[in-house]
Amino acid sequence: MTTETDKTCCGPGYASPAEAMKAPREKLLYTVALYIGTGIQKPDYLATIDADPESPTYSQVVSRLEMPGIGDELHHMGWNACSSCHHDASKERRYLIMPGVRSSNLHIVDCAADPRSPRLHKVIEGAEIKAKTNLSAPHTVHCLGSDIIISMLGDAKGEAPGGFLHLNEDLEIVGRWENDLGGMKFNYDFWYQPRHNVMVSSEWAAPNTFMPGFDLEEVGLLKYGREIHFWDFENRRVENTVYLGEDGLVPLEVRFHHNPSSSHGFVGAALSSNVIHWFKKDDEWIVEKIIDVENERHPEWPIPVPGLITVILISMDDRFLYFSNWLHGDLRQYDISDPSNPKLTGQVWMGGLLGKAPEVNGHKITGGPQMLQLSLDGKRLYVTTSLFSTWDNQFYPEIRETGGCMLMVDCDAENGGMSINAGFFVDFGKEPHGPARCHETRYPGGDCTSDIWL
Amino acid sequence: MTNPQDNTPNGPAPTRPAPTHTGRFTITLANQGGSAFEVDAEAPLLESLEQHGVSLPYGCRYGGCISCSAKLLVGEVDQSEGRALNGRQLADGYVLLCVARPETDCTLDVGVESHDKLYRNPFQSPLSPNELKPSLVGEPGSLQDAP
Repeated sequence: MTTETDKTCCGPGYASPAEAMKAPREKLLYTVALYIGTGIQKPDYLATIDADPESPTYSQVVSRLEMPGIGDELHHMGWNACSSCHHDASKERRYLIMPGVRSSNLHIVDCAADPRSPRLHKVIEGAEIKAKTNLSAPHTVHCLGSDIIISMLGDAKGEAPGGFLHLNEDLEIVGRWENDLGGMKFNYDFWYQPRHNVMVSSEWAAPNTFMPGFDLEEVGLLKYGREIHFWDFENRRVENTVYLGEDGLVPLEVRFHHNPSSSHGFVGAALSSNVIHWFKKDDEWIVEKIIDVENERHPEWPIPVPGLITVILISMDDRFLYFSNWLHGDLRQYDISDPSNPKLTGQVWMGGLLGKAPEVNGHKITGGPQMLQLSLDGKRLYVTTSLFSTWDNQFYPEIRETGGCMLMVDCDAENGGMSINAGFFVDFGKEPHGPARCHETRYPGGDCTSDIWL
Repeated sequence: MTNPQDNTPNGPAPTRPAPTHTGRFTITLANQGGSAFEVDAEAPLLESLEQHGVSLPYGCRYGGCISCSAKLLVGEVDQSEGRALNGRQLADGYVLLCVARPETDCTLDVGVESHDKLYRNPFQSPLSPNELKPSLVGEPGSLQDAP
């Protein structure tokens, strides 16, 4: 392991979260942009956005890399190598792995040759993945020191529970990563913390359940997840499944503290609109609900509307937790210095179904706050508004005509607090082929949701 | 419309002979100027129409997502491989082109222009029990867990 002062000899990323916080400001953003579900017969693409305020093209899409075909539904993405390989000078953060949830294709994109204009390196076809592993619907990508694992949400026919796809460092299929799924019923996101020999995975639903859209009635029929799984990471088996019940309906994004020694982790339960916290005490995992967002009544609808916490994110110093209430339209910042007692320190509104912020800084907002990416120094939060094409079409159907957008929120990393920046706005409604949607964002050098320290 | 899993309030559809997937039929796309194509019954409509140069949306290509949905206005198809449509969508005439095979001449509205009734906000317009996906109708559950 290298020391924090030993910066020139090493592989990708940073020696520690503290070193990452000292990195230069992000100047480029990679964001997935989508045409699936819009009626525009064009492929989804990777949009590169200029985030350098000194640049004449600041706050604009500066290049677009189209996927080879239509219908992928690009969603999340991850690197071939991250700070988990920082000790290894032979490794390079070069390839962004971009799954298509619907097609099961994995697009391997070379971002190093020209970071402003990434190019397609190769495609691992969904058909090959299905044939070799009986898995489909790739979601979260994490590198594991050298190899890569990807959560797969279904079997080859789109039924639960799915599993984990293992790629080697040459980006070839090794097979299935896991040895034993235990009683895992569904799959979604995961994060690992090797010093505690633990991985935690969460549950959305079978692809055949969530891909067509959200039928609330299927939650009661146990077609959506409500459990999280603690893995014996080395032995690749689920060791302990925790039933969250009504407090944990549809647990999605999993985040451990960035500090690799910490056992504290969090998951956002989307439909219950709760944040669940865990930590290890006397060799036992303690799991507790720490935040509960109340449902809101819409005057004309029979069923109260949940916030729908579709993403959570932790600042690199492990001090602030951010999350989106995609249906209510608010974005929150909590001080989690005491993880069991979070303090609300900031809240801003953009879009949403409750009519609280249909316009922000003169821009009409369609959708609500959704995917988040925070600068390494914790001061700038980038927010996109689209969740998933079929779910967008249910809750925000006008997004087909208006497209999604990206906003930037200024965050006070000292005292807490947030305000929406008036000088940054990327309007995906004005894309060259017509209104597109935008989802997850990454930075070329690693960000607050991409890297894990060993 | 044929759907072997369809379980309407009026009870299951009368027993029909199993689809043979043979023969050729004329597929008319009403919302594409009435253009018409001769297709084989053995192939899914998405594949057949693509071979005729028609550009249509799709996602999974196995009946698990609704990206390729079209509205069947006239005719019958076999879409028993499909998993994605709920009872309300089926009652509104939606078919999954990636798995639907024609059993007669058919007239369709295709593309997102046909999706006027495909999507609904579940908090605004809940499904009744008989509008669930056909595979779920009658399945016991704990509905109190919904928010």
